[in-house]
Amino acid sequence: MREILSLIKASFRTAISYRLSIVLSLASLLFSVVPIFFVSRALQDTMAKHISTEGGVYFAFLLVGMIAYMYMSAAVNAIPTVVSSGVATGTLEALLATRAPLPSLLLGLIGYNFVWTTVRALAFLGAGLLFGVHLAWGQLWSSLLILVLIVLSYLPFGLIGAALMLAFRTTGPLGSAVLILSGLLGGVYYPTSVIPAGIQQLSLAVPLTYGLRALRRTLLEGMPFSVVAPDVITLLGFVVLLTSLGLLALAEALHYARRAGTLAQY
Amino acid sequence: MARSGKRPVGGGGRGDVKESLIPAPSERLGSPSQSAPAVVLDGLTKSFPTRRGWLETIRHPLSTQYQQVLRGVSCTVHEGEFFGLLGPNGAGKTTLFKILATLVLPDSGSATIAGFDVVQDAREVRRVLSPVIADERSLYWRLSSRDNLELYGALQGLDRNASRRRAGELLEVVGLDDTGEKMVGSFSSGMKQRLLIARALIAYPRVLLLDEPTRSLDPVSARRFRAFLNEEIVGRQKCTVVLATHNAEEALELCDRVAILNRGQLLAAGTAQSIASDMGHDRYRLWTSDPSHPGIAALAERGVVEDISTRESDDPAWTVLEMDVPGGLERAAQVVAFLTEQGVQIARFEYVELSLADLIERVVEQRGANRGDTGAGGGTDA
Repeated sequence: MREILSLIKASFRTAISYRLSIVLSLASLLFSVVPIFFVSRALQDTMAKHISTEGGVYFAFLLVGMIAYMYMSAAVNAIPTVVSSGVATGTLEALLATRAPLPSLLLGLIGYNFVWTTVRALAFLGAGLLFGVHLAWGQLWSSLLILVLIVLSYLPFGLIGAALMLAFRTTGPLGSAVLILSGLLGGVYYPTSVIPAGIQQLSLAVPLTYGLRALRRTLLEGMPFSVVAPDVITLLGFVVLLTSLGLLALAEALHYARRAGTLAQY
Repeated sequence: MARSGKRPVGGGGRGDVKESLIPAPSERLGSPSQSAPAVVLDGLTKSFPTRRGWLETIRHPLSTQYQQVLRGVSCTVHEGEFFGLLGPNGAGKTTLFKILATLVLPDSGSATIAGFDVVQDAREVRRVLSPVIADERSLYWRLSSRDNLELYGALQGLDRNASRRRAGELLEVVGLDDTGEKMVGSFSSGMKQRLLIARALIAYPRVLLLDEPTRSLDPVSARRFRAFLNEEIVGRQKCTVVLATHNAEEALELCDRVAILNRGQLLAAGTAQSIASDMGHDRYRLWTSDPSHPGIAALAERGVVEDISTRESDDPAWTVLEMDVPGGLERAAQVVAFLTEQGVQIARFEYVELSLADLIERVVEQRGANRGDTGAGGGTDA
């Protein structure tokens, strides 16, 4: 645990050394809420009937979708990014030469990404509250658990991306494909019910579909956990299946890189 | 080989070690073989797939060509020893280091560090061995030197207090204790190199791997750095050090023993003098007032001495002759006795040390050729 926290602290101190970047990033995030608010208000009447079981307010619907997307994006991109920069700078080799176990190193290296995503999500949420979003605070813990499961269901794509990065020095289209497809089919900007019937079936293969539906129902509707349990169980199935695949891919890639001597070859 | 006269004692800079009472390499160990083995390599081989051109890949998409980088390397380094690994580019030094640091898997053979196998007991190996990753970019440039060290202390399993204490000690040792909150990115190359060493020492390793540590340093900084290595790392920290270098004089200055690696083959190992002797280097220098004395000519005629050449002397009254005296010290003593008997005036008679660079060249030429290594096939910058 100490290894993980130390790496997060190092990344945090590195990040805050770029002060202007931090301030500008937060400011742009806050300002981006304004157009979302007005666009969603304009579309409220059209969307209301489609999102009646997920809060009914399109601005809140979008806000939750975009926060989940932020976390999903961090989960998919964080590990390949840290592996790529670690290979390029030589830090990965230096870290792997320590006695810290690989899972601790990876968690430590990506930890700050999630801390920063949380800061951004809170800023986003805070701005949303200022614009009148109502949350079901009573279901906060259930909502947080669902958010964690969303992250865990997308983290394996990050592991597979890192494996590709170690073996081939590129993730190819994996990261963008996962993010684009999940964004389009997973209900980030609109409920999956409005997707044409032929394509709608595809959304069943996207973990975010289940995660977002459950998250909105608990956080915006205040539905108890038992109501969203089927979605949560499906999401959990994705987590188990994908995590096994991700770990296997990473272990194989690491073994390959150690055999081929490409661990620190850019 | 008399090396003690060349030993650096520091130049008064921040990185210098104050005392210079550390024994010379030859005095550090009664004999390397008296101490326990720290690193044991047994028939280590490694090959890497070669990168092919587009056309070749399209023609034979499934075939893979390999280039052998290490070929049955066997060698033992003892505890407390400063061991030099010499060889040209592509010799396999870096690959060997990466195998020892558990970053690359060997194809066959074995390597053990303090009894732990680098493949089977990788985690234990990382506990006792620390490579100095010479790449300055591997440091966290936006953090201070202390933050860098404390981070690696945590990663190496030290608790917060131990990590903080050790970081403080090491910063003092490497002369960076006054850098405060200054970011590492603003350090000079020499300072970063010293920080890399300190980072490797954070968890009290028993074996330290150094891969060309002075390559980015100016000559003065390099000399100070060598003094630091010799006096602090081996003298005080009691580390076993394996140093890979292209710099023969650096190896001569620091190492108890050296090994010469060429195209993945270990061609020779031992003290520079023993390798020179094995290579048949028996050259001597004679100061005489009568270089044309018939006694000298007689020895040359009988083939007792060979390849006589005249060198300049500081004193015009004496001439310096260099000659090969095959047959070792005993034959050299007989030559001196014969010349004295013949009335040749001798002011001095001494062994001519072969520079390590010449020695490496000689070993590579002789042993590389003996093993059928014609240099074909190319090497990686391993």
